[in-house]
Amino acid sequence: MSNLDKAIAELRACRIIPENEVRELCFKARELLIEEGNVVQVDAPVTICGDIHGQFHDLIELFRVGGDVPDTNYLFMGDFVDRGFYSIESFLLLLCLKVRYPDRITLIRGNHESRQITTVYGFYDECLRKYGSANVWRYCCEVFDYLALGAIVLGTSTRLERVPSISDTQQTEDLTPTEDDTELEILNADNVITARFSRNRRRQVMDPTELTSSSPSSSPIQSTPIRNGPAGTGATSDSNGSIGNNGGAVFCVHGGLSPLVETIDMIRLLDRKQEVPHEGAMCDLLWSDPDDIEGWGLSPRGAGFLFGANIVKRFNHFNDLSLVARAHQLVMEGFKEMFDSSIVTVWSAPNYCYRCGNVAAILELGEDTSNGGTIARSNGDVGRSLGDSAFQNLQLPAEPRPGPGRRYRVFAAAPQDYKGMPAKKPVADYFLVSRFCRLGKKRQR
Amino acid sequence: MATQLSVLDPGKPHVFIEPAKRINEGQDVSRFLVSSAYRDITLFLVQLNRAMFPRKDGLEAVAHMPESSAISKLQGLLKAIDKVVDDVPLDPGTHRFGNTAFRKWYQVLEERSLQLLKDHLPETVIDFPHENGIASIQELKAYLLGSFGSAQRLDYGTGHELSFLAFVASIWKLGGFAPSNEGSEERSIVLNVIEPYLAIVRKLILKYSLEPAGSHGVWGLDDHFFLPYILGSAQYGPAITDSDSTPIEGSSPRAPDPGGVVKANIVAQERHGNLYFGAIGFIYDVKKGPFWEHSPTLFDISGVRAGWAKINKGMLKMYNAEVLSKFPVVQHFPFGSLFSFEGDTEAQEPVFSVHMASQPRQENSTSSGTDGIPSTMAPWARNSSNTTRMPAPTALPTRSVGSNVIGRSNPIETRLPVVSPNDSAFVPMKAPWAKKG
Repeated sequence: MSNLDKAIAELRACRIIPENEVRELCFKARELLIEEGNVVQVDAPVTICGDIHGQFHDLIELFRVGGDVPDTNYLFMGDFVDRGFYSIESFLLLLCLKVRYPDRITLIRGNHESRQITTVYGFYDECLRKYGSANVWRYCCEVFDYLALGAIVLGTSTRLERVPSISDTQQTEDLTPTEDDTELEILNADNVITARFSRNRRRQVMDPTELTSSSPSSSPIQSTPIRNGPAGTGATSDSNGSIGNNGGAVFCVHGGLSPLVETIDMIRLLDRKQEVPHEGAMCDLLWSDPDDIEGWGLSPRGAGFLFGANIVKRFNHFNDLSLVARAHQLVMEGFKEMFDSSIVTVWSAPNYCYRCGNVAAILELGEDTSNGGTIARSNGDVGRSLGDSAFQNLQLPAEPRPGPGRRYRVFAAAPQDYKGMPAKKPVADYFLVSRFCRLGKKRQR
Repeated sequence: MATQLSVLDPGKPHVFIEPAKRINEGQDVSRFLVSSAYRDITLFLVQLNRAMFPRKDGLEAVAHMPESSAISKLQGLLKAIDKVVDDVPLDPGTHRFGNTAFRKWYQVLEERSLQLLKDHLPETVIDFPHENGIASIQELKAYLLGSFGSAQRLDYGTGHELSFLAFVASIWKLGGFAPSNEGSEERSIVLNVIEPYLAIVRKLILKYSLEPAGSHGVWGLDDHFFLPYILGSAQYGPAITDSDSTPIEGSSPRAPDPGGVVKANIVAQERHGNLYFGAIGFIYDVKKGPFWEHSPTLFDISGVRAGWAKINKGMLKMYNAEVLSKFPVVQHFPFGSLFSFEGDTEAQEPVFSVHMASQPRQENSTSSGTDGIPSTMAPWARNSSNTTRMPAPTALPTRSVGSNVIGRSNPIETRLPVVSPNDSAFVPMKAPWAKKG
């Protein structure tokens, strides 16, 4: 254990650990992950995070904003590696924390946790550069094969517990704390509430453009909910309110849904311990994207599918889910709720690739304590006893079930201190005459 | 005397062909690498590259020499295109990343393209005698429209950059440019056509938030561009005369140290007179953070001690391996008569300048999916082995280039790449589907 704590300390300081320790860590991680199902069950409260992509300093900022492990229970939805400069440090830190606190952190697989993708998008190069061999890349890829494909969060609450927030003391008029009906709350990195939306009342409108764009003036009766959440949210005002305290189950997956997966149970049957295939259910779960289309569409990514609102609503209903949380796509506001808040994209890599100018977000789901912490509802197995045919006949309800209370914490890229420059590494072969030259150069420097 | 891309005989009617996509699977890349299109593009690139080296007679110092009429006309074309950027405002509302107004911009360009070309290309090029109903403008239009990014994906990468190179090379082949006097016309093409083109693309990228096509994040050379690193490093090479071979090491005494890329003041000072630093300057404009962290490949290259000519030679090799040999980049390139997919009968013979002569043979194509236009189809279904064996005029030890993949530029959104199944680095880790192809 002490070795592990030492490794965690090293990695937190953004220093890589020796290759043999990586090997040992990856071995332990595999032993742990092999015990997990394809769909991990996670109990609320939990903080759900999206893509990291080797942005180590921003991962540390994420922990500052969301609370440290093991104090906060985390669920990371994949894409730990590639593109950023610190994929090794980021992934190994998360893996160390997983081994150290297995019940406080859940890691599921993203499409970048793959041999093929990492050889193209940077992680392989990074391992070669930082370790001088591909061994660490190999160890990590073996771990990738054991990562779960999804998670289901149970025991969420429809209510958001109040957090001590600066805005409470500042008493911003518009943001006075509501009773129990807060559905969605947005906080900045300084723990200040910047927006809050309640279920029952017409929302306080934070963004007037959103209102005008979504309420057709010609229609006197609102047939669809006004989407008066802030930019990036699909928060609606006409959920049925706090009829119960249970926010329903939340399905977490990196990419999205698959036409081959009608029930959560079907995911449980997959053989996941392999490289991400080019097609099929496992591939789709890691590659698909929601889109404003009807039904299914071809994905411009060349893998997975696009899926529309009806697909998500159907899936949520059949599986007794209130929400799908996924990552996989850059969103400028850090999170984006779609399709009447039936699905949300969470993105946790701020100023992606040093240039996109986006903020990042994490999603906190509170715990339903009304039944003394027991979980009374769905684990995604609804209708199992009825057999598959039952699903064909299910009708979508007029009103979706009330979803969990959602607290988004939004943060920007971590300020970075310039700690001088590292030594230049030998350049690629293109810039060398021969290997002998390269060695000579190395010595010169 | 440097090798030049040959000009078509205007006395002989030419059979133009509507350009079409020919690279549909990984194996087609190896056909491309022995095609006459590949030969002509590399020839033209090497020709432009050589012309950018300083001259012992100081000729290159005259940045704005009297331009040939073709070059003034092309500048007019670029100005007209630049105006379209000003004309199409951003779409309001929230966008995931890229602004959808770029699609309108592209549509306007498409609608105006024939007229623009008629207005701004030399008549000899537009009216080049042809045998069938297809005129030169059909081929020219395809390359021009391919040069400004993808309207569908709202991205820009080296595949689009390549399309513009082909556009300019088409005009060369059709005799649109003045006969070159020791590289003066080529130099003018780079400074007065290619550089303004790059400026327009940068404006497009900034205005409409175009994604870097196929981004490898920090592990690529650059998010969008490659050519300015080639042509700009040549600008800092040692001076030559027309009879000298193209230098492969050394620098001009006036050139800044390559290490200057990390110094903001040097970048600010050099970016307006040099294409390499122009590209570095754009990185400074769009990226936040330490240079060595967000651009480690360029940072490492800045440590090359053998001079700018060495960097130049490396850039050419890297371009060949990471751009021209990559399926995701070249798959969208359309082939007609000027750039023909037909085999180059002399492909096995040395047809390159001294530069290209020392290309390493590539045993494998490895991780493709680099730079440039991302694939819009599942590329793995089209894997091939040994895709990128290119003609190497001189025997060199065979070496895998891809395993030290540095520098491929590249979408913010991931597309599936093509990986060669037999990359030695991955033998024990072969993916299950690797046997396909």
